[in-house]
Amino acid sequence: MLSMEQAAELVLTLASREGFREVDAMLERDESLDVEIRNGKAEKIEQSTSLGLGIRVIREGRSGLASTERLDEEAIERAFRTACEHALLQDATGVYLPEVSPYTQDSQSLGLYQPELDRLTAGDLTEFGLEVEASARGADSRVTTLPYLGASRGRSETLLVNTRGVRYQHRSNSVSAYCGALLQEGERRKSGMHFWSQRAWEPQAARETGEQAVQKAAELLQAQPISSRKLPVVLDEYTAPRLLGMYFGAFSAESAQKGMSRLKGRLNEQIAVPELTLLDDPHRVNGTRSRFLDAEGVVTQPLPLVEDGVFRSFLYHVESGLQEDHASTGHAGRGYSGGISTRMHNLVWPTGSSSLQDLCATPEECLLVTQLEGAAGCNPVSGDISIGVQGFLMRNGERVQPVDSVTIAGNFFEVLKNIRGTGAVYQPNLSHLFIPALLVDGFAISG
Amino acid sequence: MLAESTVSKILEHGLSQGADFAEVFAEDSVSSNVSLLDRKIDEISSTNSFGVGIRLIYGDDVYYGYSSDPAEDNLLQLTSNLGQARGEGQPGSFTPLERHNVEDIHHVAINPEAVSKSERVELLRHLDQLTRKHGEEIVQVSAGMVEKHRAVLIANSEGVWVEDSRNYSRMRLSAVAEKGDGPQSGAESPGVLGGYEFFRDLDLSGLAKSAATSALLMADAGYINGGTMPVVLGNGFGGVIFHEACGHPLETEAIRKNASPFCGKVGQQVASSVLTAVDDGTLTNKWGSLNVDDEGRPTQRTVLIENGILKGYLSDRIGARQVGVAQTGSARRESYKFAPVSRMRNTFIAPGPNTVEEMIASIDFGLYAKKMGGGSVNPATGEFNFAVQEGYVIRKGKIAEPVRGATLIGKGHEVLPRISMIANDLELAAGMCGASSGWVPTTVGQPTLKIDSILVGGR
Repeated sequence: MLSMEQAAELVLTLASREGFREVDAMLERDESLDVEIRNGKAEKIEQSTSLGLGIRVIREGRSGLASTERLDEEAIERAFRTACEHALLQDATGVYLPEVSPYTQDSQSLGLYQPELDRLTAGDLTEFGLEVEASARGADSRVTTLPYLGASRGRSETLLVNTRGVRYQHRSNSVSAYCGALLQEGERRKSGMHFWSQRAWEPQAARETGEQAVQKAAELLQAQPISSRKLPVVLDEYTAPRLLGMYFGAFSAESAQKGMSRLKGRLNEQIAVPELTLLDDPHRVNGTRSRFLDAEGVVTQPLPLVEDGVFRSFLYHVESGLQEDHASTGHAGRGYSGGISTRMHNLVWPTGSSSLQDLCATPEECLLVTQLEGAAGCNPVSGDISIGVQGFLMRNGERVQPVDSVTIAGNFFEVLKNIRGTGAVYQPNLSHLFIPALLVDGFAISG
Repeated sequence: MLAESTVSKILEHGLSQGADFAEVFAEDSVSSNVSLLDRKIDEISSTNSFGVGIRLIYGDDVYYGYSSDPAEDNLLQLTSNLGQARGEGQPGSFTPLERHNVEDIHHVAINPEAVSKSERVELLRHLDQLTRKHGEEIVQVSAGMVEKHRAVLIANSEGVWVEDSRNYSRMRLSAVAEKGDGPQSGAESPGVLGGYEFFRDLDLSGLAKSAATSALLMADAGYINGGTMPVVLGNGFGGVIFHEACGHPLETEAIRKNASPFCGKVGQQVASSVLTAVDDGTLTNKWGSLNVDDEGRPTQRTVLIENGILKGYLSDRIGARQVGVAQTGSARRESYKFAPVSRMRNTFIAPGPNTVEEMIASIDFGLYAKKMGGGSVNPATGEFNFAVQEGYVIRKGKIAEPVRGATLIGKGHEVLPRISMIANDLELAAGMCGASSGWVPTTVGQPTLKIDSILVGGR
C-alpha cells in the first residue's frame, strides 16, 4: 500500500503522462480510538485507521470524480481512468483549477493539532470514562442506567495536491467524551446528555461530564407541557448554535443561484437587527473548520456576511463564482469521496454582555430552551423552524416549571430581525459555530 | 477478498489473545452517483470502499478495529493491538472454516455494470423534464441515481465462512416550487435491493407528479394552529414514526442497556389490539432486505407486536446473549468501519380493516399527515419529533386546506395504545437509518392509520 504522499505523486504522474493539465487529489487519513463504558468497565474498544483518495479531473470546464480507499497503484490508476470518463459526461460549467495563491502561514498557528493527544491510550480513555460513570452514578439515586457513555480521541490529516502546484497539508486532532443518563421516578423517565470535546487533555473534566448529564435529566424529570401561546424564547449557548446552525446554507451563492435560498437578490438589504454583525472566520484559533486554503486551493480570508444587520456577501467557490463573474471567496469544501460544495468555515456571532440569567429576566415571561428534539421540522431552504424542545418556563427571571412535549415554531429570517438580547459566552466545546445564547421574540409555542 | 489461510490466522491469533470469539468482516464495495441539479448533470462520481474489520469478543465486551490495508502482517498486528488493549482472558477454541453457500433471494436481473453511464444521464434529464412540466412554479429540480454493490465476507472462529453480494439501486427526486412565499419542496426516493431493472421499470411520470404536486401544494399552504388533536397518518413513509419511536426501542441494543420503555414487556399488551407489527428481512428485493445479516446468519421474518401484544425483539449476537433471547439475523453495519449491532430491516405495521374515508369522517378537527418527512427519537424515553412534509387540516369529517411546517411529537409507547383505526392500504418506503453501527438501508411502512390524540406543533 502507498503512503499518502506516494499516492498523491502517482495521481500527478498519471495526469502528466495522460496529458491532463487540471487534476487534483484530496487524500484523507483518519485515526481514532473509542472506548464505551458500562457497569464499571470498558464494554467496547474500537481502534481504527481509514484512508481515502479522491481524484478530480477537469476537461474543458467539466469535472469528473472518482475515489478509492485502496491505495495501491492498480486501484489508483482505475480511479483516475474513471474520473476521466466521468468528466466527459458532466455538463460544462467552465470550472477550472485556480492559479496557485501563495500562503505563508504555518498550519500549526491555527492551533488544531496537539501531539500529546495522539499518545492517549485506551487505558487513559477508560479511566476517564469510569470517572464519568462514577460521578453520574453518585450524582442522583434516580439514575437507572447510563446507556451512552464513552470517551474517544481522533486525528485527521488531509493532503490536497494539484497540477498547478498546490500542496496543502492539514492536520487536526481532538479528544471527547459523552454521557447520557436515564433517570426514573415512578413512571416518569427522562434522559440527559452532556458532551465534552477539547484539544487538551483535562482529566478533571470527567466529573463534570457525568454530573451535568444527570443534572440535565433531573431538572426535567417532572416536566410538563405548557399551553399554546406566543412567548419570547431564550436559546441557551448550547441550543442556539445547534438550531440556527442549520440555516446558514442560505448564505451559499450556489444555493441562491439554484433558487434554494431566501437571500437571493437581497444583497445590501437589512436582513437582521442593526446590532448584528456575522463573520465567517477561517483563521479562528481552535475553530474546527479553520484552514488557510480551501478544497480548491484558494486562500481563505475572514468574510463579513452581515454588517450592522445588512447582508453583505454570499459564499463562493470557483464554479458558483463563475456564474456571477465573482471571485471565489475560498469556500469550497470537499471530502475525498464527494464533489466540491460550498462550505462555511467558522461562523462568529459576536457575544453581548448579558448572562443567561439576565436574558431570562428581560421579558416578564419566557421559555428557556435547553434541549432540542431533532431537526426534522426545520427547513433550511424556506427557513421554517418547527422543533420539539425542552426547558423551563421563566417568570421574572425565575424558573416556574420544567417544560417538555412542546414545539416552538418560527422562521430563521424572522429570528434575525427579532433578536432582543445576546449572551456573553459561547458553549465551551470544540465547534465551528460561535453563537452565544439569544433572546428571541416571535416564536409560537404549541403544547 | 482475503485468502482463507489469512483469515484463519487472524481468527486463531484473536483467540490466542484470550478472546472467546473472533470475527473477520471484509468488504469491497463500489458506489456510484449520477446527479442532476438546475437542469445540468451536476456530479458523476464513484467510490471504491475497501477494508477489513476485526472483532474480538470477551464475554460481553467487544474489541473492534479496522483497516483498509489488507496485508496479512498489518491485520495480525491490528489483532494483537486489540488483544493488548484487553490484556487478559482465556484463549477460546477455533473451529476450522467451512464455506456456507448463501442463497441469493434478491435477484439482480440487469447488471448495473452492463449499462452505460450515458443511459443514466438521459434518464435523469427525462425525469427533470417530467417534473418541470407540472408548472412554471417548479423552479428547481434535483434528481440522482445512487447505486451500490457490496461484496462482503464474514468469517468467525465458530467455523462460519459466508460470502454475500448486495446490490442497491435508489432514485432520488426533489422538486422546489415557488409561488411568492418562499421555496417549498416535495421529494420522493424509492429504492430496492436489486439491479438496474429498478430504474427501467420505475414509473418516472408518477414519481415526477408526486414530488411536483407535493411542492406546489405546500407552496400554497398555510400553517396549522398547533395543539393536541386526532391525526390520520398516511401510508408508506408514515411508518417512520413506528420505526423511530417503537422499532429502535425494540432492538436488543437498547434493551440490553435497560434503555427502552419496552424492557421486560414481552407478552404484555403494549399497543391497541388492532395493531400488529413485523420486521421482515426476507421480502424479495425490498430495500431493507438481506440474504444474511452482518454476522453471517440467515435473515428472517420477526413478529414484534401481534394484536397489541409484544412478541419479541430484534437481536444480534451480543444483544441476544445479554437479553437472553434467540438471534433474529438482525445484526447490521454500514461498512467494515463499524461493529455490527441489532438493527431493523423492513419494518411495518400490518394492514387493518378500516378505510381512509372512515377515518377522516370520524374527525371533527384534526390533521391528515399525508406524507411524513424525517424525524428523530430518544430510544431511552421514547420521545419523538417528526416533520409533516405534506399535511391537510381535517374539518368536520372532510379534508380541507393544505398546511405546512407541522410537527408531531410524543412518546412512542404512549401513542401505540391510541392507534384506533388501521386501513388496508399497506405501502413500504425506502429510507436510510442511522445508529451506532452507521447508516443502513431500511424500509419503513404502514397502512394509513388514525391516532386518537397527539401533539401537533404548528404556528
